[in-house]
Amino acid sequence: MLLINNLSFSRNKTKIFENLNLSLNNKGMMQIKGKNGSGKTTFLKVILNILEPESGEIIWKGKNIKKNIFDFYNQTTFIMDNNTSTRELSVQDNINFWKGLSSSKLHNDEIFKLLKKLDIEQYYKTRVMLLSSGERKKLELLRLILEQKKLWVLDEPFNHLDDLSIEILNQTFLDHINSDGMILFASHFDPNISNLETLEFN
Amino acid sequence: MMIIKKIFLFYKRESKLFYSNIVDLFSNILFFFLSVFVFIFALGTDEQLLKTIGIGIIWSLLLLSSTLSLRKFYEEDFKIEILPIMHMGGMSYELIVFLKILSHFIFVQIPFLVSLPIVSIFFNLPTNEIYNLVLTFIIGSLILSCLGSISASMNLLNKTNFSIGSVIVLLFSIPLIIFSVGINNADNDFNSLLNLLIGIALIFLGVAPWSSAACIRLALNNK
Repeated sequence: MLLINNLSFSRNKTKIFENLNLSLNNKGMMQIKGKNGSGKTTFLKVILNILEPESGEIIWKGKNIKKNIFDFYNQTTFIMDNNTSTRELSVQDNINFWKGLSSSKLHNDEIFKLLKKLDIEQYYKTRVMLLSSGERKKLELLRLILEQKKLWVLDEPFNHLDDLSIEILNQTFLDHINSDGMILFASHFDPNISNLETLEFN
Repeated sequence: MMIIKKIFLFYKRESKLFYSNIVDLFSNILFFFLSVFVFIFALGTDEQLLKTIGIGIIWSLLLLSSTLSLRKFYEEDFKIEILPIMHMGGMSYELIVFLKILSHFIFVQIPFLVSLPIVSIFFNLPTNEIYNLVLTFIIGSLILSCLGSISASMNLLNKTNFSIGSVIVLLFSIPLIIFSVGINNADNDFNSLLNLLIGIALIFLGVAPWSSAACIRLALNNK
């Protein structure tokens, strides 16, 4: 369903990666591994057309994503290593913004249940700048469920998380795969999930 | 219909950000008032002199005050990488820039409008000149917001030298100053100069979204 053919990317005349191929089907989960600075994050951003590839093509549902980029985005959630929550706004404001942006129909009760599960429901009205790194990461990961998209692309999703949160995230990944979803993530951490495909970056 | 909802959502976020950073706006307005006072104290109590050069001074200080807020135009959104997320939410970078320009105009420039009649009293400006000043400021500040967007997006590419953005704004605002100040001395040419000012505003409103969006894309590529 997601097919990447001979993808290459250069920055300032330096090749970051060359002729990369990848295929990810329904119920597929792939981990991108590699040392620091090997280009994992860049690769994810190129797949999502945030960065322009030097050559190669990205096919989604049989069509080049450039021909209908917003249809591709409509089915994709991207969680970056950075937290995209606005520090000056409250958790509630950030959730409402993401919810509206993705046209999510998730009910507020379900959002509260998720916040409770992640143990951040007490910060609902608190400004994000007052949250710890781990709590901000959990808030960011909430977008996975909030946006209800088919393809999840994540960059270092396990960073800053405690053991319990890692367990919840693993279970969330499995639930998404079981409901026909697709996951592509870059991480140094081995999440201990069976049937996980890997792509090594050197 | 969906895009209209997203535009409302964008402004809801912008207005909340504006209220959380309202101290910045007060500081800019305070800077404007204090600069006006500094000029008045420096020039003395010559009523005719203040009246003659008043509009020019007010416009120059408005320009300098508005450059103070340029740093925040895209910097924070770029840093937390919400711009690609908004883009993935169905908004083109050009639309995001256009909405940002309008939000800068509404939340940063329009509050200055309230201060203009007050400042005009100190320069002993006649009512018709205050009216002209307010009218030209409404159009001129839209041009300043467009220029601010272009320079702030160019600054995303150049992380070491912020002052270059202010230099660009000052350089391109010379025609704006000429027409905005000159409108008071043009008895018969008032409408033609006003139309010219509106024309400049429309050109910038057309050019700024494309050029700023291109700079943002380039900055994301180099991040």
